[in-house]
Amino acid sequence: MHGRVKVKSTAQQEEEKRKEREKKLKAFVSARDAVLRKRSAGEHDEEALQLTQQLLSSNPDFATLWNYRREVLLQLETSREKDEVQKLYESELHFIEACLKVNPKSYGCWHHRSWVNTRLPQPDWTRELGLCDRCLSLDERNFHCWDYRRVVVKESGVSVEQELQFTDRLIGSNFSNYSSWHYRSTLLPQLHPQPAPDSASNTSPSPTASPQIHSHRVCEEQLLKAEREEMISCVYVSRERERVSVAFSKPVHLCDLPPGSVSDISNEHNLTVHWTEKYTHRDCALYTGCAESWCRDSATDQELFRSELSVEKSSVLQAELQSCNQLLELEPQNKWCLLTIILLMRALDPLGHEKETLAHFQTLKEVDPMRSSYYSDLCSKFLIENTILKMEYAEVRVFSLSNKNLTTLCHLDQLLLVTHINLSSNQLLRLPPQFAMLQCLEVLEADDNAIESLEGLYHLPKLEEVSLRNNRILFSKQSKCFIRNPFSAFRASAWFDLVSRSQYSSLINSYRLCRIMEGQQI
Amino acid sequence: CLSLLSESDDGNFILQGTQVKDVVIKPEAPNTLLLDKHADYIAAYGSKKDDYEYTLSEYLRMSGIYWGLTVMDLMGQLSRMNREEIIEFIKSCQHDCGGISASTGHDPHLLYTLSAVQILSLYDSINVIDVDKVVDYVKGLQQEDGSFAGDKWGEIDTRFSFCAVATLALLGKLDVINMDKAVGFVLSCMNFDGGFGCRPGSESHAGQIYCCTGFLSITGQLHQVNADLLGWWLCERQLPSGGLNGRPEKLPDVCYSWWVLASLKIIGRIHWIDKAKLRSFILACQDEETGGFADRPGDMVDPFHTLFGVAGLSLLGDEQIKPVNPVFCMPEDVLQRIGLQPDLLN
Repeated sequence: MHGRVKVKSTAQQEEEKRKEREKKLKAFVSARDAVLRKRSAGEHDEEALQLTQQLLSSNPDFATLWNYRREVLLQLETSREKDEVQKLYESELHFIEACLKVNPKSYGCWHHRSWVNTRLPQPDWTRELGLCDRCLSLDERNFHCWDYRRVVVKESGVSVEQELQFTDRLIGSNFSNYSSWHYRSTLLPQLHPQPAPDSASNTSPSPTASPQIHSHRVCEEQLLKAEREEMISCVYVSRERERVSVAFSKPVHLCDLPPGSVSDISNEHNLTVHWTEKYTHRDCALYTGCAESWCRDSATDQELFRSELSVEKSSVLQAELQSCNQLLELEPQNKWCLLTIILLMRALDPLGHEKETLAHFQTLKEVDPMRSSYYSDLCSKFLIENTILKMEYAEVRVFSLSNKNLTTLCHLDQLLLVTHINLSSNQLLRLPPQFAMLQCLEVLEADDNAIESLEGLYHLPKLEEVSLRNNRILFSKQSKCFIRNPFSAFRASAWFDLVSRSQYSSLINSYRLCRIMEGQQI
Repeated sequence: CLSLLSESDDGNFILQGTQVKDVVIKPEAPNTLLLDKHADYIAAYGSKKDDYEYTLSEYLRMSGIYWGLTVMDLMGQLSRMNREEIIEFIKSCQHDCGGISASTGHDPHLLYTLSAVQILSLYDSINVIDVDKVVDYVKGLQQEDGSFAGDKWGEIDTRFSFCAVATLALLGKLDVINMDKAVGFVLSCMNFDGGFGCRPGSESHAGQIYCCTGFLSITGQLHQVNADLLGWWLCERQLPSGGLNGRPEKLPDVCYSWWVLASLKIIGRIHWIDKAKLRSFILACQDEETGGFADRPGDMVDPFHTLFGVAGLSLLGDEQIKPVNPVFCMPEDVLQRIGLQPDLLN
């Protein structure tokens, strides 16, 4: 089904081919019918082995035949001595190897070989490892063989070091070595359960030997580390609203707040939010005379967006950055280089390298335009991270990121305390449901984007000013919007279609300042 | 183009050019969608029962029927297929253990049990088989570690985890298995690159990634996926020709327009692929003479690649094709009728 080229041929060649196939087909059908007849008759004998052998050699994906063969072998086992059983299954291995030569990627063949090894009185794992070596030397990317090798290694107790050496040999001799790198990624943690600070250079080849793989590995490491932990991002208490807001970095299952958690009688509250599953908690004290209070880990101190760097690790990464920059001079269009440089800079000093990072992203989009959406989203993520860091350094609750080609929003759990947000002049398509995390938001400016609906404005209890001019908010029967602002004079408690301007005037009344109507593109 | 640098004797670097494995689309390749030709191709496929390829692929017949019917339904042409004959065929393929085989006289397997349930869902005729026995069969294949064997012979693969939950979801019976363990096993197959393989330790592969993201969607566990990392690996499957491969340094293949694209859709990153270039590639895989799609331009067509070419185009937004569900690879309207709307990330 794969890789069969359509070849044009003459009428005579067509006729010859047709006759040939008819012959083949007849042979196949009669053999198949004979086998299935035997099986229905419950015959488990040598003839069954011969017939299935004939068919499986050229049709190894005919799974039912492997099943029948196993039934026959199990039956024959019962009437044979141990050494005869050994011979029986050894010749089976011989047969399977012949099948594998024809079709090295048949699930049925490889599974049957595994099965045979469970029946062999004395499996020969050295031979099996040798088979894997030979098979991988022909096709280093054969994942069936790699999977089988992992079984052989486990059964025969080959050491992790030995296997690492094996991957070293393969990687050194072959450019298409992703499978080997993958295998290393599973072996190294077995050797070093707690990754050492310098272990980065063990896992990646030098940038000059294999730029793609090196970058891939660096990227994966950095992107993986950038994946944030599950944590309580922030706890916020509002006296006026008698409300505790808790922002988590990842989705969680909700449970009910114990009754009487927030009392409206006493003036001073000491709150503790316990996250029992994670054995963590956050304390927050609301003092007399204060309208609000919060508890939030420092994004800058806690290295929220990147992993902590030891001095050693820092210098390793600096050296890698230097190598990559050298390579970039030789190959200014090398996307792997560009991406690796960006990620290394982020790991080392996200704010210091911001300008360079933006420039490199621009180049990346030109050099690898197919993935420009990915680069735009990744760049947006980094800009948002930098803005969160800057907000913290400046000790303000204003988040401003306008005219920065933002294509996506993220880390909204870090914006629970934000009162003003300016996202104007970007390329945002939506304010996602997670926008509801901005529980303190009073002013939203998001003019000149490509926002298509108002879904993100749900459940923003303090929102008073909204500006969404020049977007793409759809005024059609299909788009429904639910706006509820219980602290304003207007309460909309039902769904309504945004069809006419008169209905929109109701919306406008719900906010002190509301600019939505102008400039919407349908 | 990638390039290899190696050190020369004087310590400077030598640039060696290396080609990226890819195809070149000829200018005369098809660039419009030939839906009618594809419908004719599928409708006629298998009518010549003495066809060589057809007979040799009997071992997967149930899946072959599912591919054919689904693509016909997506093209609005399901009525041209022989519903009664197919339903009778499925009935004859259910074994005493409850499992369903690819064809009469073949042994039951999870792969064909899913295909059969998908077909019967298309035809809204799920009760022609013994549903309880199917559920028992699927449940019985779950192992201690949460994985699923394909059949009683014990091959373990995340493909079978997907087959199991997809089958049970279509039957409304997800609650019969140990969900926590099933999820645990699939997550144990997640790799350093965010992708998934057949078994723990196996290399990431687009087909397995489709199965695992589909599994996690059905089981409501998509938040466990590292969507940014996996999305990046997936969008790196796109080659200069616009086609998608299944893993690094492999040739593009139209069926990856499904495995990769559906995975991207499930994790909310489908916009990371260049849609126009992919569409050109898929269209170039059509055969103007015979109808149908091949794995790559100029190759022989078959129903498998025809379904995934059309389904891929549907995911890309082609309005001549019905919307397809990225988890089940079935028309959305069928799933709406069943009441099945698995979560996707956004």
